[in-house]
Amino acid sequence: MTFYKKELEKIRRLVYANNVQIDIIKGVRKFIENNYQDNLNLDSLSNNHFVSKHHLLRLFKKYYGITPRQYLTDIRIEKSKEKLKNGMSVTQTCFAVGFESLGSFSSLFKAKTGIAPSAFQKKKQLSRNCIHPNSRPLTLK
Amino acid sequence: MKATVISIPVRDQAKALAFYTEKLGFIKKRDIPVGGGNRWLTIVSKDWQDGPELSLEPGPNHFEPCKVFQEALKDAGIPWTQFDVQNVDTEYERLKDLGVEFSMQPTEMGTVKVAVFDDTCGNNIQLVQGL
Repeated sequence: MTFYKKELEKIRRLVYANNVQIDIIKGVRKFIENNYQDNLNLDSLSNNHFVSKHHLLRLFKKYYGITPRQYLTDIRIEKSKEKLKNGMSVTQTCFAVGFESLGSFSSLFKAKTGIAPSAFQKKKQLSRNCIHPNSRPLTLK
Repeated sequence: MKATVISIPVRDQAKALAFYTEKLGFIKKRDIPVGGGNRWLTIVSKDWQDGPELSLEPGPNHFEPCKVFQEALKDAGIPWTQFDVQNVDTEYERLKDLGVEFSMQPTEMGTVKVAVFDDTCGNNIQLVQGL
């Protein structure tokens, strides 16, 4: 057995020994992934998984290193990128991925990606036009 | 400040480029001759072409400590770096069919599933799937 495998076994015994906790928290993550567009909060997550809010928050942070809210935001931003790339308007995208305010969507999107949603969409459309296999080659006049 | 380039030391850049593009599915982004047959050679993920570039750099051929470090990690089974995948089992089967050798089969580690393969250029690389 390699050194690396031995280390992983050690980590498994130290960190991942509690299968009940791990099953709960994996279920919460999956639930967020499948319902990111809904109005999710700690109350609804804890009710759905029969654990207290405090316990859920602690477990999620322990096993994923971020809070459920941060994870939900990351998923929503990733999904919004796909929708913007596919041509959905910024406003429609905002509500389609579960944000309730255009302002918070735009500021979070910019904080996570470095550019505003509208600028992101323009950039993607531009690059798609440049590399699309059916696009006409640009000619210099 | 942005993290834009991640280096992977390789013994043979041409062989590495073939492996990373033809088997793993990355796309060549920059290929600039830098003298002595060496290249500034970078690749990007097919689905994230404006994401970080992987630099396939020939450090082990020119700097002995780099070679020693790379060999030590390889022998210990430690991955040089890791790539996220949607499904480790599917990638494992796909790469096995392409002749890629794994030192660790898909293994659950709590909230992730991992597998480790040999990139044929001196490194172990880990595949990771969030669970």
